[in-house]
Amino acid sequence: MPQFFLNKRLIILLVSIIILVALIGFSLRERSKLTWPEQFVKDTTGWVQSLVSKPANYVAGFFENLQDLQNTYKENKELKSRVEKIASLEAEIQALKKDNEDLRKINGEEKTLRDMEPSPATVIGRNPDRWHEMLIIDKGSLSGIKKNMAVVTADGLIGKVKSVNQFSSTVQLLSAMDPKNRISALIQSDTNIYGFVQGYDDKEKALLVKGIPSGAKVEKGQTVITSGLGGVFPQGLLIGKVVDVKPDQYGLNQTALVKPGADFYDIENVLVIKRLMTQPDTSDMSDGKEEDL
Amino acid sequence: MRKFLLPLLFLALFIAESLFVQFMPEKVFGQSKILVPHFLYTGLLFFTIYIGKNKGILYSAIFGLLFDIVYVEVLGIYLFLFPFVAYIVTKVMHVLQSNIIVASIVSLGGIALLEIGVYEMNFLIHVTDLDFMSFINLRFYPTLILNAIFILLTGFLFKRCFEKYSEALKDD
Repeated sequence: MPQFFLNKRLIILLVSIIILVALIGFSLRERSKLTWPEQFVKDTTGWVQSLVSKPANYVAGFFENLQDLQNTYKENKELKSRVEKIASLEAEIQALKKDNEDLRKINGEEKTLRDMEPSPATVIGRNPDRWHEMLIIDKGSLSGIKKNMAVVTADGLIGKVKSVNQFSSTVQLLSAMDPKNRISALIQSDTNIYGFVQGYDDKEKALLVKGIPSGAKVEKGQTVITSGLGGVFPQGLLIGKVVDVKPDQYGLNQTALVKPGADFYDIENVLVIKRLMTQPDTSDMSDGKEEDL
Repeated sequence: MRKFLLPLLFLALFIAESLFVQFMPEKVFGQSKILVPHFLYTGLLFFTIYIGKNKGILYSAIFGLLFDIVYVEVLGIYLFLFPFVAYIVTKVMHVLQSNIIVASIVSLGGIALLEIGVYEMNFLIHVTDLDFMSFINLRFYPTLILNAIFILLTGFLFKRCFEKYSEALKDD
């Protein structure tokens, strides 16, 4: 035995494997927030990253502008035809909004699941190893950002806030594989059909909306939005469009493949969405025995 | 003076990786493969080869921890794998003679080992459910090609930079 203990390398390897397992176990545990050394390191690097990423954004923007210049003429023609419609649409929306407000006042229901408050943020980094699909944004808890808020771009939902530091926070994209990542979704057709966004198909590049009742008629091209019933996100954030429907493993439910409206690559600016409707307490929904997923 | 420049170089590579991924479009040359930049680790491996084992492993561990905290949020994966692969690389370099071509090839081998190690670990903790052949086709080959190009472009610069650094260390 003494010879075994004298083998320094073996001891070091064993000790480091023990530390490795302990650290991974520690960080995979359900954590409500990161420890303060982690937050400190993330904020410091976040500051450096925001210094670098702003000039980088300008340079990238310059090249994008050059590309845009090439199709300006065609785009301009198309946009002009749309502008004419927009004026009349805007007037109509104004009237409808006012109608809606008045009716709500009469009914006494002034809050809806749709109420939200967006706050803009800039992307300053992205996970390079691309297993854990994550973005780092330049707003943190000092700007009022909290865990689990929805994050969108102009084209639709991209993910949720995974962890918050003082001056920066981490966004987990929808394309990340995480069983805890379930979003209640609504497929818009004649009747509302509900399901869960749960997982991402790497090869098809589409989100999986599971748990749709087998009787429901889901068709290609229907729009999928958040339903707001999950208690975290507001209602009405665009997720994407249905591209395919198939029965699930046991034929009890259907799974819809949904092409996300937002591009998960090349993201520069995002909006973090705060839901204004009160959030239900988890203790109200479960009997305390189940762990919340 | 040079002592401060070295961490700055690694920090620049650390941030360059994130910028590279941020601005990369979904499809490269019409194919949606996943390219993973390992600029930082290329630098660390050249550092290990030209400066020495102990310092190389120390720097690998520090930057591995930084990588875990900032980008991955699962502590331990890179903290363990960076020094481990660096150690294997020094063992291999003992047998081979250290000229730039051998150093480049060994570094590329180290990156391949790192990529496989990270895949196995992520598979173990259910971050991914990709099977091994899909992993090879979707990520492994494209990543190796990207990093081979990076080593081709910067290997010579790394070598000159670190050799000057080691001379400066001897003079002190």
